[in-house]
Amino acid sequence: MTEAAVTEAPEATSRGENPVDAGPPRSLAGDAWRAMRRNPLFWISSVMILVFVLMATFPSLFTSTDPTEAILQESRALPGQGTWFGRDIQGYDIYARCIYGARASILVGLFTTIGTVAVGGTIGIIAGYAGGIVDTLLSRLGDIFFAIPLLLGAIIFLVSLPATNNYLFIVLKVVGALVVLGWPSLARLMRSSVIQVKPNDYVQAARALGASPFRIVRAHILPNAVAPMIVVATINLGAYISAEATLSFLGIGLQSPAISWGIDISRAIVGLRTTPHMLFFPSLFLSLAVLAFIMLGDAVRDALDPKNR
Amino acid sequence: MRGTTRTVAVAAMSAVALLAAGCGSGDSGGSTSSAAGGQTGGEITVRGCNPQNPLVPSNTTETCGGNVIDAIFSKLIHYDAETAKPENDLAESIETTDNQNFTIKVKKGNTFADGTDVTAKSFVDAWNYAAYGPNAQSSGYFMEPIEGFGDTQCTGEGDDPCAGAGMAKAKTLTGLKVVDDYTFTVKTSEKVSNLPVRLGYSAFSPLPEAFFKDPKAFGDKPIGNGPYKLDAWNKEQSIVLSKNDKYKGDFGGKVDKITFKIYQDSDSAYNDVLANNLDITDEIPASALIDDKYKSDLPDRNAQKETGVIQTVTFAPTKVDPNYANPKIRQAISMAIDRDTINKQIFNGTRKSATGWVSPVVDGYKADQCGEYCTYDPAKAKALLTEAGGFKGDKITLSYNADAAHKEWTEATCNSIKQALGVDCVAVGVVDFATFRSQIADRKMKGMFRTGWQMDYPSIENFLAPIFKTGASSNDGDYSNPAFDKLLTEAAAETDPAAANKKYQEAEALLAQDMPSIPMWYGKTTMGWSDKVTGVKITAFGTIDFSSVALK
Repeated sequence: MTEAAVTEAPEATSRGENPVDAGPPRSLAGDAWRAMRRNPLFWISSVMILVFVLMATFPSLFTSTDPTEAILQESRALPGQGTWFGRDIQGYDIYARCIYGARASILVGLFTTIGTVAVGGTIGIIAGYAGGIVDTLLSRLGDIFFAIPLLLGAIIFLVSLPATNNYLFIVLKVVGALVVLGWPSLARLMRSSVIQVKPNDYVQAARALGASPFRIVRAHILPNAVAPMIVVATINLGAYISAEATLSFLGIGLQSPAISWGIDISRAIVGLRTTPHMLFFPSLFLSLAVLAFIMLGDAVRDALDPKNR
Repeated sequence: MRGTTRTVAVAAMSAVALLAAGCGSGDSGGSTSSAAGGQTGGEITVRGCNPQNPLVPSNTTETCGGNVIDAIFSKLIHYDAETAKPENDLAESIETTDNQNFTIKVKKGNTFADGTDVTAKSFVDAWNYAAYGPNAQSSGYFMEPIEGFGDTQCTGEGDDPCAGAGMAKAKTLTGLKVVDDYTFTVKTSEKVSNLPVRLGYSAFSPLPEAFFKDPKAFGDKPIGNGPYKLDAWNKEQSIVLSKNDKYKGDFGGKVDKITFKIYQDSDSAYNDVLANNLDITDEIPASALIDDKYKSDLPDRNAQKETGVIQTVTFAPTKVDPNYANPKIRQAISMAIDRDTINKQIFNGTRKSATGWVSPVVDGYKADQCGEYCTYDPAKAKALLTEAGGFKGDKITLSYNADAAHKEWTEATCNSIKQALGVDCVAVGVVDFATFRSQIADRKMKGMFRTGWQMDYPSIENFLAPIFKTGASSNDGDYSNPAFDKLLTEAAAETDPAAANKKYQEAEALLAQDMPSIPMWYGKTTMGWSDKVTGVKITAFGTIDFSSVALK
């Protein structure tokens, strides 16, 4: 029987598209990468994200115009009248502001995702692995935060914090609000995947061998339970960017002198009926950034979900 | 000016709506000469907002309540709708020989809506009530010039100044005396040259006996003596006025019924006017002002007029922020502001660049009092700043209250200063008007901050004395100049109005040298109306002239 099983192995690999690669064992990540790189959605979204990240880190690559240089005489100039996207009501160059606005959005999206993954992931793992009373307590705590509407909670959170002019602090305020209200969804997700993985034989084996809980979680549970969270976190990154824009639009998120798409959309709204280009371009950039992350999230999900193969 | 919550805290009524008077057209915005047209009767709806306080004339200092108060109360003096020139309304005569002792004769035969007569006592009792400290009337300070005002005020400290020993010493003003049913005298503690002009302000309205019996009930359903009477006040929804058939004055209205529909924002009111669901809006939203959109939306159904409002930027007192002490630095900042472009691009021409500290609509106005210091000249501004030794601080700040539409112009102003002087300038929003004003009042706010003034009564004095006299109630920059104070005192003693105005103008000229505040622009009010009404005119106070509005 043993012999037969061994001889069957090559047959099994031959079902794959590329039998030459069958030699070394494939990891989950390797599998996902293979699937992803064949997905055009992945490449489109990656390129878009790369461009936005470049904008955020080196805005001067894209424009040499100072986004705070106001030429009031040319206020509300149309696209093409000396500038690519025209000027807004203060006479700022809309193109330059769209480029510089990427930084706030990317920072908020990235930091919030890191924050929610760290907080939600940790709490989810503890709740799922420990179970019992710890699980009950942490899950109810999550339910409490889950019950607060994101926008309402963020407004209260941001209004109660002191105002400041420090750019990083303003960004962190918004990040803080979104993390505090955003972690429970990831914690729930993580908890359920941990509960799914926990009864597996390899986990039981590790426990029987005397591995510490920390080692079990790190080496056996986390790698096998993290996939759904990566997918949701990527999609959420886009959602956080739009949440930041919403808060800035309402005047409680980022505030001048910070440059953000949300702020620019909010100040362009008076020109909706007369000079809509002031509203169009920041909105376009915002939509593209959100779309890019949601598309990436979709591509990652397709790759990580074995049912799709 | 409703959006711009006035800096001048309680001071300044935003309201004085003149009823009545049907002269001339106040349009500069393209309305047709439909002045005399229209039928009598019918009903109209106008944009309203929530009154802050009960509807008592001496406790109303904002437009929302003021517009209603002015339609339902007549005063001794009536201001002409177009020119704001004072003329006698309830007053038969107001006489004085020394600017300190006034004899006022009231016209006979006028009654309140409840049928009781308007007598000298109606005025004296109302004014005493307004002045008496424990009544806490927001316009009580208008009685300040009258002799004995100090004794009617509470002197205690803390939350309740009227507690214990702080209780006011006197219940009535010693300067007010009823001579007979239709005559009373007023004695002021100092000479006042323009008392008659002031008497048209709503705080000086007469009140009927019914008020003193139950002031609280009166506040919900006031009984007035004006051309209209209040039928119903549906809180948060509408205020309904109808024609007062007991009104015998000269300034009655044409329509039978006026309904103030209460709106939360000007955009929805404007859209209702477009849809003919609302007849008049006294505020055009910024989105319709852009590119004069309202003129194509409401062709021949809009009007614009200058009103007695000035916006200024005041410097924090020197002891609070020494960086702006040098008048040359102040003048340099003023010259670095491109008022005309800001007005054109941010306000769409709905302001008029200021050339002095007094509004052009009042008697005594003299143009160009600020001279070159209020003219945009970046090169000269820069030179002046260098001459003064440069700006010592980290950056120039311009604070504003973020709950009204001040963000755009403060940012544009700062950009203009930054570009002309090469010094960083930041517009700082303070969360709301109350916080903003308390920071200024406590002398905690540094740098520059926005201030505005809406006239209480049409006089040059009203733009100078309450704001720049040493220790005055609205002297936010703690400006003090003995020469300026002396000129104001001399002017108040002049019995000839022209001579008094001349002294006031000399005083105003002194402000250009010291620059206690930067004049920015004078206000204008823009209105739009539906195609059902005609004869809509704007008063010098920026309110609707109800004496000329009629249905087509």
